[in-house]
Amino acid sequence: MSSHVEPNDSSSAHAALEERSRALFHDSVESLDFATRSRLTKARHAALEAASTSRRPWFFRSGFLTPAGVTAVAVLAAFLWMGSPVVHSPITAADGQSNLEDLDMVASSDDAIDMLQDDVEFYDWAEKGANSGPAA
Amino acid sequence: MPRFDTLNEALMVWDNPTPARGEAVLEYSRELERFLAEIERRAFRMAQVALRDPDDALDVVQDAMLKLARNYASRPSAEWRPLFYRILENGIRDLQRRRSVRKRFMTWLPGVKEDPDNETPDPLENVADAAPEIPEVLMQGQAMEQLEASLRSLPARQREAFMLRNFEGLDVAETATAMGCSQGSVKTHYSRAVHTLRDQLGEVWS
Repeated sequence: MSSHVEPNDSSSAHAALEERSRALFHDSVESLDFATRSRLTKARHAALEAASTSRRPWFFRSGFLTPAGVTAVAVLAAFLWMGSPVVHSPITAADGQSNLEDLDMVASSDDAIDMLQDDVEFYDWAEKGANSGPAA
Repeated sequence: MPRFDTLNEALMVWDNPTPARGEAVLEYSRELERFLAEIERRAFRMAQVALRDPDDALDVVQDAMLKLARNYASRPSAEWRPLFYRILENGIRDLQRRRSVRKRFMTWLPGVKEDPDNETPDPLENVADAAPEIPEVLMQGQAMEQLEASLRSLPARQREAFMLRNFEGLDVAETATAMGCSQGSVKTHYSRAVHTLRDQLGEVWS
């Protein structure tokens, strides 16, 4: 007797194997014990939390960014720039091309000012959102 | 004031600050959690079949969740499933590679004879359960053990193709994305896997 298997027999045997193995697998998933399910739930929460925390900039996490903080940083930066020895260097003054003029040129750009203003407003607003109460 | 947890969410709401958009972003986050909750048990079992160790399986599943949430959450939700399984399969392969290297290293060390993968079994695992199991459940358990053993004996790519197509229900295109290969390769791997499993399990299961 030949051991040859007809194509139809073979495909039906394969279909039966697929069906049975799938059923067994899903049964094994459904019968996972409570401890494993609980660990999976914790793992999911930990992953989602870690993902959200790691994507948040450091100044959001530390609570560094406040309106007062933004203002203080801006004032400090301006003070340092104005007080920079480069501004008062003889070479720069002699050339009549002070850094203050450079600053003016930058400041006169509407795009740059708008961009800076937008960013500050956005970070201020976003920081309030990050610190607001729990999600509804 | 809308509540959000990530800078991306804040940017999306800022760019379009309508209440509907803000709600959509929150719904988007919840959808990701629902997706992970729906998929996690099957992913765990598939990782466990490949790795044997439940702790390792849990680690790679959690790592895949983290990477999906961190790097691909902004992608359309229809893409999450194949992306998740691609990350998961990469994690499984990395772990198996590390195990293989560790095993080779351990065999070089003088006086080390033990296989690090074969740790001393927990004696409590062999204690019979107080509740008697009905024969049907026992038979199902045995059948699943046979299936797992056969799946582990398959080449990794065949095992991946079979589990993703048959257990997870991914179509050929999604499986190709998850495996990082062509659709033709998926069909070949899957066909070979089915033939081998049929040869190994046909007699036992019939």
